[in-house]
Amino acid sequence: MAQTQNTAGKDNSILTKVGMGVLYICLIIVAVFQIYPLVWLFQFSLKSNAEVFGMSPFALPQEPRWENYVRVWTDGNINLYFFNSVWITVASVLLTILLASFVTFAITRMNWKLNKLVLGLFMVGLMVPIHSAIIPLFAFFLDLNLIDHPLSIILSYTAFNLPLTIMILLGFYYTLPREIEEAAVVDGCSIHRIFFQITLPMTTPVLATTAIINMIYNWNEFIFVNTFISSDKFKTLTVGIQNFIGQYLTDWGAIGATLMISIIPILIAFLILSNRIVEGIAAGSVKG
Amino acid sequence: MKNAWHKVLFSFALVLMFALAACGGNEEESEENASSGENESDSAKTIEFMHLWPEGSSKQHHEIVNSIIDEFESDHPDVTVDVEILGNEQYKEKLKVLSTSNELPDVGMTWAAGFLDPYVSGNMFAPLDDILEGPLKDKFVAGTAEAYAIDDVTYGLPLELNITPLYYNQRIFDENGVEAPETFEELKEVIQTLADNGVTPVALGNKDRWTGSMWYMYLADRIGGPEVLNNAIDRTGSFEDPALIKAAEEIQELVDMGAFINGFNGLGNDEAKGYFINEQAAMYLMATWDLPEWTTNEDNPQEFRDSVEYTKFPTVEGGEGDINSYVGGPGVGLFVAENSDVKEEAKEFVTFFVEKWGERSVTDAGVIPATVVDTEGLDLPQMYIDILNDLNEASNLTLYADVQMSAGVADVHLDSIQALFGEAITPEEFAKQQEDALAAEE
Amino acid sequence: MNKVMSNKAVIALYVLPAFILIVALIYGPILITGYYGLMDWNGIGAMTFVGLENYTQLIQDGQFWQSAKHSFLLAFFSTLSLVPYLAISLILAGKIKGSDLLRKIYLIPMLLSSVAIAQLWVKIYDPNNGMLNSFLTMVGVENPPSWLADTNLVLYAIFVAILWQYAGFYIIIYYAALKGIPESLVEAAKIDGANPIQIAYKIKVPLISGVIKVTVVLAIVGSLKYFDLIYVMTGGGPNGASEVIASYMYKKAFDTFDFGYGSAIAFFLLLITLVVTWITRKLTASEDEIQY
Repeated sequence: MAQTQNTAGKDNSILTKVGMGVLYICLIIVAVFQIYPLVWLFQFSLKSNAEVFGMSPFALPQEPRWENYVRVWTDGNINLYFFNSVWITVASVLLTILLASFVTFAITRMNWKLNKLVLGLFMVGLMVPIHSAIIPLFAFFLDLNLIDHPLSIILSYTAFNLPLTIMILLGFYYTLPREIEEAAVVDGCSIHRIFFQITLPMTTPVLATTAIINMIYNWNEFIFVNTFISSDKFKTLTVGIQNFIGQYLTDWGAIGATLMISIIPILIAFLILSNRIVEGIAAGSVKG
Repeated sequence: MKNAWHKVLFSFALVLMFALAACGGNEEESEENASSGENESDSAKTIEFMHLWPEGSSKQHHEIVNSIIDEFESDHPDVTVDVEILGNEQYKEKLKVLSTSNELPDVGMTWAAGFLDPYVSGNMFAPLDDILEGPLKDKFVAGTAEAYAIDDVTYGLPLELNITPLYYNQRIFDENGVEAPETFEELKEVIQTLADNGVTPVALGNKDRWTGSMWYMYLADRIGGPEVLNNAIDRTGSFEDPALIKAAEEIQELVDMGAFINGFNGLGNDEAKGYFINEQAAMYLMATWDLPEWTTNEDNPQEFRDSVEYTKFPTVEGGEGDINSYVGGPGVGLFVAENSDVKEEAKEFVTFFVEKWGERSVTDAGVIPATVVDTEGLDLPQMYIDILNDLNEASNLTLYADVQMSAGVADVHLDSIQALFGEAITPEEFAKQQEDALAAEE
Repeated sequence: MNKVMSNKAVIALYVLPAFILIVALIYGPILITGYYGLMDWNGIGAMTFVGLENYTQLIQDGQFWQSAKHSFLLAFFSTLSLVPYLAISLILAGKIKGSDLLRKIYLIPMLLSSVAIAQLWVKIYDPNNGMLNSFLTMVGVENPPSWLADTNLVLYAIFVAILWQYAGFYIIIYYAALKGIPESLVEAAKIDGANPIQIAYKIKVPLISGVIKVTVVLAIVGSLKYFDLIYVMTGGGPNGASEVIASYMYKKAFDTFDFGYGSAIAFFLLLITLVVTWITRKLTASEDEIQY
């Protein structure tokens, strides 16, 4: 048995090399497809409307319109919106992840009767489309005097992303070994210490994952900001795009430039967080 | 130990929540007082004003608005105007959400007829007849302010007036040896020649649906006269009128001839316009709001702008409509909210706005205002002068069908238009669908 | 042990803040929407109570059922697409050279907002100058279809864009899950002589089955309430050929001022989603019965 396995292994080594070659070619083709949108967006941001429409999307801008970027900075209030986007996104992501971790921990690790019911209630929250809740939500925030206040969007982002975040965390919490936590209980550790010092670090990879997903959602969110916020001082980058949508004329080059500017910070944050997905496990296993 | 942890965390959470709520409340309260004028000491009044001309896409509009506001504020030192600006679609959506909570801005922008209707029946907009009878008497082009009237009460003051000419590219016409058509038969010949030569005759972005509606409306007007469509909509007539069915047949004949650009039902108007600007299509039926694109917009190549000419939509032989009848109408207008705390000031503001806008909009932004323009001595591109003269000779102006109709019927109309162009329904079905929808609403 | 892990106060402290948030901001509004669904209301004027009239109208509304069919098709394809996403994640999480870089590149489209993605795909599908038809013409196809204008193709054309948009979302979840598998289990299998495909199929996939089930639910629920690209790219047209439940609801509530009816659609959509999710969970439940 072992022998056949071995010869098969040797045959494989040639096959494996060819296979790997094919695999890499496929992977690289997919990679080209995936990175092209960014290149396209960059080109798009340097075009005029006449070039954006009616000409081949492959075509390079005839004379790159860097002034699109200048216009975006000067006419688009982008500098003002930029800071808002950053802090509102960060605050919402932190709040969501912390609250979702609390809930997931309580549901998977602690013993209580209603846990399935409560989990079910969180899951149903996943199913509500934003548009069907927006008008009652507006009335609600109006009553609380939170219209045109950043808290209205932070709380909305948190509430609407909680179910998704909990769902993703849940899948991971079940696969995580409980032994470490159980040992800690035996050692007399308080539950809060277990949560903050054992469970949270162990779940770093999934926390990074949910942080990325939440960050992208909040960063690109549009409907809540648009509906709840009316002062420029609290608006975020996605609203900046609207500055270039006119009644009859939309400046697509400037929209491209806005999108390009707004993708940079999130790209950087993504690259950093993305490393944590791997690092976290390493750290966790050292602890384990 | 465990309990201590508890208390710390719990009180921390509580403090955090209260702090957030408190600072939220305070800040908002002070703003609320300032902005809605609830403050009864009323030394300073604020008019909330929402418009849809952002600096980025409508720089000239935006600047005129700002200077009008500055002027108004310096004339009225006790009043400030607080502005919120949104893009077109988001403006409509937000207006809707605000109205569900009765929180409309003091002054905002509205469209005519069908758009206005639910707001008026919900008692959201203030009647403005006192302004029309008073300071702005006879200032508007006949028929424009009336589009904002429901049961003879006017709720909006129009700022724009558009008609819809057929633009064409003279260079492409010359190359293919055709001339601007004056009759529908000639138009078909032009289309046939262009199509035979492999040139796209007409750019049409019918994903947006109202674009195709313009073609249909003109044919209905030229075949059955200006009243047929209006009567079908106001229920003194029927949508199954032979003229309206005939117009639908003509549309499908144009489609069969290959008049419209390949894939028109999936193209947006912006894209279709792009084809025309890049000289990949010979004709484009669109309202005069696009005039700056053909005249002053430096983004478009000079050679292209020099090639664009316009013609009135051709007449149909044996048809009732005459060549000076137009599809068009006022665009946005100003409303004053019924529940505004500063209604008097708001009314003063809209009056002032309409006057100043009328003086400056054509020269500064290329927008034809709904107020009467004296072209004498104005420095305008020739195409503007011609269009303004045409407007003076207009025998009729038919308001865009989707604006005339209530929102629900307009949606049926627009869907039917798309299906008609896509040849998914017959002209008879096209007429019946709309007749049914109109009848159901009676 | 049991005492620590069943402290009621701690449970309340951990669960209540999130619970209050979703009750106030999700349950409150959707129940109010359910209430609006019993009304004849244009969103502005007075409401009239009409009972279940909106729902009886809904049951007979052909356009609604057509859009419901489209939503279900999307849910079906989204679920199916999880298989290739899982395969890609398995490759990326394996120890091949450059997997770190590749993974980052693969997830880039996910960062783009829907506005950008919609524009990109509109450019791809443009019937005359678009990337796809330029390519098809180049390889000799005559009269390539005009994708977004073709009532038979438009739905699938948009599905491709949606599935592409969400690829990164699922890949990153799978990737993180696969990275969480203890190295020792994989090593043990290798010593036993299992090849990479066997390891993937027999060890890795079963170990992350909990996560896979979660993604199935996410894919189905997300598809049933999907809205973004469809609204921007076609507005549900032409002739309703790409309409889905959420875009139909939006059209009724916001475009045609039929707010009562729009609310009824929204509430009905929630019920449909609930039932479908429940069935899905029954079907995917396994003997180790992971509760989620």
